[in-house]
Amino acid sequence: MAFIEIQNLFKRFKKVVAVNHIRLEVKEGEILTLLGPSGCGKTTTLRCVAGLERPEEGDIVIDGKPMFSEGFVQPSKRGIGMVFQNYAVWPHMKVFDNIVYGLKIQREPRQGVKKKGEQVLELVGLTGLGERYPNQLSGGQQQRVALARALVRNPKVLLLDEPLSNLDAKLREKMRFEIKSLVRRMGLTSVYVTHDQAEAMVISDRIVVMDSGNVVQIGAPEEIYKKPANRFVADFIGTMNFIPGEVVQVHQDTGAVFVRTEFTEKMLCKMSDTMEITPGAKVHASIRPEDVEVFMEPTQGKENLYKGTIVHKAYLGNFLSFFVSVNGTMIRVQVPYHVPQEEGQELYLFLNPQKCMILF
Amino acid sequence: MSRGNIFLSTLLWLVIAFLVIYPLSILVLESFKIAKTGGWGINNYLEFFQDTYYLKTFGNTLFLSVLVLLTSTLFGVPLAYILARYRLRGKTIFTALILLPIVLPAYAGAFAFVIFFGKYGTLNLLLLEAGLIQTPINFIFGLHGLVFIQALHMLPFIVLSLSAGFTNIDPSFEEAAEVEGAGDFWRFLTVTLPLCTPSYLAGAVIVFLWPFTDWLTPLILGMVDYLPSIAYINIAYHFTDMHRKYMGIVAVVVSSVVCISLFLLSRWWVEKKKYTGLSKGTTLEGRVIEPGALMKLGAYSYMFFITIIVVLIPAVLGLAAFSRRWVFEPFPTYWTLDNFRMIFLETPALIYNSFLFSGVALLFGIAFGLPAAYLIVRTQVRGKDALDFVITLMLAFPGIAVGVSYLLAFWKDIPLATHWIIMPLSLFARRLPYFLRMAHSSYLQLDVSLEEASEVSGAGKLRTFINISLPLLLKGVFIGVVMFFIMAFQEITTAIFLYRGGWETLPIGIYLNWHRGMEFGIAASMAFLMVVITFILLLIISRIGGGILKAAWGPGSR
Repeated sequence: MAFIEIQNLFKRFKKVVAVNHIRLEVKEGEILTLLGPSGCGKTTTLRCVAGLERPEEGDIVIDGKPMFSEGFVQPSKRGIGMVFQNYAVWPHMKVFDNIVYGLKIQREPRQGVKKKGEQVLELVGLTGLGERYPNQLSGGQQQRVALARALVRNPKVLLLDEPLSNLDAKLREKMRFEIKSLVRRMGLTSVYVTHDQAEAMVISDRIVVMDSGNVVQIGAPEEIYKKPANRFVADFIGTMNFIPGEVVQVHQDTGAVFVRTEFTEKMLCKMSDTMEITPGAKVHASIRPEDVEVFMEPTQGKENLYKGTIVHKAYLGNFLSFFVSVNGTMIRVQVPYHVPQEEGQELYLFLNPQKCMILF
Repeated sequence: MSRGNIFLSTLLWLVIAFLVIYPLSILVLESFKIAKTGGWGINNYLEFFQDTYYLKTFGNTLFLSVLVLLTSTLFGVPLAYILARYRLRGKTIFTALILLPIVLPAYAGAFAFVIFFGKYGTLNLLLLEAGLIQTPINFIFGLHGLVFIQALHMLPFIVLSLSAGFTNIDPSFEEAAEVEGAGDFWRFLTVTLPLCTPSYLAGAVIVFLWPFTDWLTPLILGMVDYLPSIAYINIAYHFTDMHRKYMGIVAVVVSSVVCISLFLLSRWWVEKKKYTGLSKGTTLEGRVIEPGALMKLGAYSYMFFITIIVVLIPAVLGLAAFSRRWVFEPFPTYWTLDNFRMIFLETPALIYNSFLFSGVALLFGIAFGLPAAYLIVRTQVRGKDALDFVITLMLAFPGIAVGVSYLLAFWKDIPLATHWIIMPLSLFARRLPYFLRMAHSSYLQLDVSLEEASEVSGAGKLRTFINISLPLLLKGVFIGVVMFFIMAFQEITTAIFLYRGGWETLPIGIYLNWHRGMEFGIAASMAFLMVVITFILLLIISRIGGGILKAAWGPGSR
């Protein structure tokens, strides 16, 4: 049985449906990320778990105890820790008082409050700053206070709502790893909300991609990147070339599919095992820029080899990014930095059939 | 929607129904009563609008409003621009002094200027002595004096709303105009001023409505042909003359209708024209310019000029307060503490009543305002927008309407008017929006996640309110408390209809002393005392609120 179970969750604001009957399970000790563009319902889902929003319908169970179905457990009684996007560190309390607030509410004896407070301060690397006021801390330090406050009661569940989005890029990258190792060490079951796909890749055991209130795909980071369920996921995570076309032949046994596109009659693609495709279907032959190989000369015996002209070239340090026009269809390519070709010159693109997937 | 919130909302609505809706509907009902037959009809209104005298009065009031608005705008625009845009030394202190009239009672200014600018007042006597004039000049008695006094009293509203507008404009709007080649003045005319109109209008409507509320200043200057003044005289002195009484009631209702419609119209227009949402957030200070030497000199002399006029009020009142028999002399010759002896020893009840009534009204205000602000900002209770609307509407209601309606409503069926509690209750109803607005705006600034974080940490709603919300709201709430107290303390328009022997407050004492033609010095020293008390209260807020400017206006000004 999963640690957090969400069934049939439905929430709307006035007429706008924020979460549309979704189903989710979070396993014990795992870090699950809700990922999606703004307005996709990820934060609302998290707030429903916290009890800060009251869903219209659905069930939420944490550690076998129902939080919402018929009744509604107040957020104060759910035993969770939460880190807010803007930290929500109370400006009128010292750092230490901020952190041990929850312990005092629990009527923890004074000795315990002091000990646990010091421990968690050390854990987040703020030893010695307990007597400061929040406005004397940097953004990164306030972030740590918020984290410490969420951890101090040893919660069953840790909820993080875009906790890094207010930090600058360098610090954000560092904190990703820090949060991950901290949460791992404590073995906390966590739900993490972000719109930053790179952050989600680093931090999560599993990612839930959401779009306009629906769950689009659930899977490990690698799975989501390599086998996106649809165009939305493929587009949201990483970059993808979508080549529109029509299916002409399907070989169920080998999984090979031939697609007619703007520039070729027969482009070879691979379909996933579960897919059902019939000839005539409108699809997108899709391939990531880094999976396209480039050749200066036409190589014999290769399928899916097409001649193109470089339209744009951009130097990105560790690699080059080309926009190549193949008979008018623009294909983005990522090549090693030593490829000498310039804008206006021609080259050959090899769209590896093994990596060329069919998306609708 | 929790049960507690619904209960709270019901409770607040009951208070509103009893203290606002009930009395005001009685007022409106009464205006449709036909005195002779005891039936109902629009006869009173027909009489009112067919009587050339009342029509003239109505016209006078409108004309006065236009003049007051024009004058205060004319003087306010440069002042607001200087305060908002120029980097000048001593700006804070000038600002504080210029904004002073907002917290001083209107009648204090009227008295001071009558003493100073009167026919044989200080200025005329000085000019005569110097041989510059042969006969005294009439500086103050007449329409020009009325416009001057009312415009000065309302000047802070124009200055505050305009300078808020000037400060809040995204600097890039003006920079864009500059880059496009617009000169300073042209840019001001075509970009800055139009962008400020919504915020200007918010202040302007309050200014425009003032002549519909202020009955006392015209009387002090010897004029009665204005709606509120004639309403007051008709109702307070001629209540046995049925015709005059009903004309008075109609005048009150007509004033209220004008005020409410203009207020709603301006609000609707402001909502439609809000430009601030277009900008991507502004710098804290807005656009501040280092003025050139000539500009600097001009700005200083202008600020100095306005400040002198404002400071005349406490100065002249002070002179009058510590002297007696100040007649036909430019300055007092006989100094004494007699006036204060009179106030403190012979009529201490006035001071006691003032503090008691304002204090009790304040308690009502807090008990009502905090829950109301909570409901409006933090919950989704049905009807909360209507609640907000009704309370805000009280901003526009003339004080005279509250007073008259209470007199009518709490006399026979609910005889509340026989108990002194009617005084604080009416003060509370009249100043309802003040405290709420401030609690409201500080609640809006309080990030909801601060409260959520507490709930997640295991604290219940009430505990969260006590531990987190209240301490963080305290500053704004405290400023609201003091502002409310100041406003309640100087209230006269409402109280004058309701007081009975023994319930006189300081403002009523001032009025009575002036009206009965007793020693002018006592009225002046009471006014001086009120100025001093107000000033002390302001000082307290400025200590806590940071910045005297905020003290005069509260955190909701931005």
